[in-house]
Amino acid sequence: MRMCVDMKKCQYHGQCVIAAPDLFSFAEDGSLKWVETIDDSLRQQAEDAADVCPEQAITLEG
Amino acid sequence: MTMTLATRVEDLPFLDVKDPAFSIRSPEVADAREQSWCARTPYGIAVLRYDEVQKLMRDPRLRQGSYAWPAMNDATGKFADWWSRMLLSQEGSDHARLRRLANPAFSPKLVTSLQPAFAVLANELIDTFAKKDSCEFMADFAEPYATRVICTLLGLPHEVWRELADIAADMGLALGVTFKQDIPRIDAATQKLFDYAANLIADRRARDLGTDFLSLLIKTNQEDQQALSDQEMVDMVVLAIFGGIDTTRNQLGLAIDMFLQHPAQWALLAAQPELGRAAVEEVMRVRPTITWVTREAVTDFSYEGIDIAKGTTLHLFSQAACSDPRAFPDAGFDITAERKPHFGFGGGAHHCLGHFIARGDMTEALAILARRLKNMRLGGEPKWLPDSGNTGAISLPIAFDPEV
Ligand code: HEM
Ligand code: HEM
Ligand code: SF4
Repeated sequence: MRMCVDMKKCQYHGQCVIAAPDLFSFAEDGSLKWVETIDDSLRQQAEDAADVCPEQAITLEG
Repeated sequence: MTMTLATRVEDLPFLDVKDPAFSIRSPEVADAREQSWCARTPYGIAVLRYDEVQKLMRDPRLRQGSYAWPAMNDATGKFADWWSRMLLSQEGSDHARLRRLANPAFSPKLVTSLQPAFAVLANELIDTFAKKDSCEFMADFAEPYATRVICTLLGLPHEVWRELADIAADMGLALGVTFKQDIPRIDAATQKLFDYAANLIADRRARDLGTDFLSLLIKTNQEDQQALSDQEMVDMVVLAIFGGIDTTRNQLGLAIDMFLQHPAQWALLAAQPELGRAAVEEVMRVRPTITWVTREAVTDFSYEGIDIAKGTTLHLFSQAACSDPRAFPDAGFDITAERKPHFGFGGGAHHCLGHFIARGDMTEALAILARRLKNMRLGGEPKWLPDSGNTGAISLPIAFDPEV
C-alpha cells in the first residue's frame, strides 16, 4: 500500500505522529517525514493516521 | 551581516485582556496587530498575527496552557483533580496514549453515520417554533441541539438532555470568575457527572456492544486495562459531555449572529445547502467561540526578536489571527470564498478531538435552519458573554417569516 500526504493541506498538527508513530515523525527542522510504502503489518496504523488527520491530508492507495 | 532588531518587551503594545469590557474584535487589537506580531497582557504575551499563531500553536517548545487553570485560582478538590487528569492537561507520551485511545470513538466514519440523526434532530427542534414568527435561538435551538447531539453520541435517551445541560453548566462555573466561592457547588456537580458517566458505562456494558462511542471505549478497556483504565474511561465520557456541549451551543449562536448581519449570505445558504460546511468554516474564522487558546513555554527561547522565558503564558488570539489582513486581504464575510485554515479548533497535538462531530452537526444545523427560517432578523436585545476568552450569546432573540 502507498501513502501520500498532501502538503498543501497539511497544517503540521502531528496527529498522524500520535496515531502512527512507526510511520510518521517530525525531523529536527520541523518538517514531516513519513513512510511511503506501507507493509501489511502497519496497514492499521496507516488507516488510523488517515482517519485522524484534521485536514484529511493523508491518502492511501492499494 | 544581518542586523537583528531586538524588541524590548516593554515596548510592545499592551492589551488588558482581564478587563471584562475588553473586546478581541476592538480597533485596539487591530492597531496592536499592525504595530507588532505580539502584545503584552496581564498574563503574559498575546500573539496577534496569522503566521505566528499558526506556527506557535504547534511549536514543541510550548505546552497547552489550560492545565494551570485551577491552580492559578488556588482551587483544589474533585474538579481540580479531574482537570489535571484530562486530555487537555496531559502532554507527551501520556497525552499521545489517551489521544490514540479516544481517536476511534471520534472518527469521521462514526460522524458520517450520525449525520441523518443530526438532521432529524434539527428539524424536530425547528418544528417547535417554525410556525410562530420568532424564537430565543439559544434556549430554543442551540442548547437543546448541542446537548442532544451528545446524547446521540453517547446513546442516551433524549429526555435526559436538560439534566445533562444543567450538570455541565454547574461544572462550567469552574471556568468563570466565581470559581473559588463556587467550589462546593462545582464539586457536587463534578461528583454527579462522574456518577452519571459511571452509570452510563455500566448500562452499556450490560447490553451487546456495538460500534457506538461507549462500546468502543468499553471494548478497549476490556481488552487491556493498561491501555485504558476504568478511571480513564469515565474521564473520557465526562470530557465528551463537558467539552462538547457549551462550545457547540456558543458556536451556533455566533453563526446566527454573523448571518443576522449578512442576510444575503443566509439566503445564499438557503438556496445552496451544500455550502453548509463552508459556512461553518467561514463563521469560525471570523467569529470563533474560543477566541484564544493558551500555551506555556516549557523552555527559554527567542522568537522573532522577543525573548520568551520558560513559564511564560502565550495567548494565541485565533480571532485576531484569522482577521489578519496579511493572511486574508479580502476579509469580508463570504461563505463562497477560498480561505486559509482557521484556528477555531486550536491546533497541534491538542487540536480539538471533537471537531469532526462539531463540524458535522453544525453543518447540518445551519443548512436546515437557513432553508426553514426565511428572512431571519434580530427579534430583540441579545445578551452576550464578554467578547474574549470563550465567548457567545447568553440569549439571542430572532424573528423570521412563519412557516405555513
Ligand atoms: C464548535 C464546537 C467546538 C469548538 C469550537 C471546540 C474547540 C476546541 C479547542 C479550541 C480546543 C483546544 C485546542 C488547542 O489548545 O489547540 C479543543 C480541544 C478539545 N475538544 Fe473541542 N471544540 C468543540 C467541540 C467539541 C466536541 C463536540 C467535543 C467532544 C465531543 C470536543 C472535545 C475536545 C477535547 C477532548 C479536546 C482536548 C483535546 C486534546 O487535548 O488532545 N470538542 N476544542
Ligand atoms: C473537556 C472539556 C473542555 C475542553 C477541552 C475545553 C477547552 C478549552 C480551551 C481550549 C480553552 C481555551 C483557553 C486555553 O487554551 O487556555 C478553554 C477556555 C475556557 N473554557 Fe473550556 N473546555 C472544556 C470545558 C469547558 C466547559 C464545560 C466550560 C463552561 C461551561 C468551559 C468554559 C471555558 C471558559 C470560560 C474558558 C475561558 C477561560 C479564559 O479565557 O480565561 N470549558 N476551554
Ligand atoms: S495529522 Fe495531517 S495535518 Fe497534521 S501533520 Fe499529520 S498529515 Fe499534517
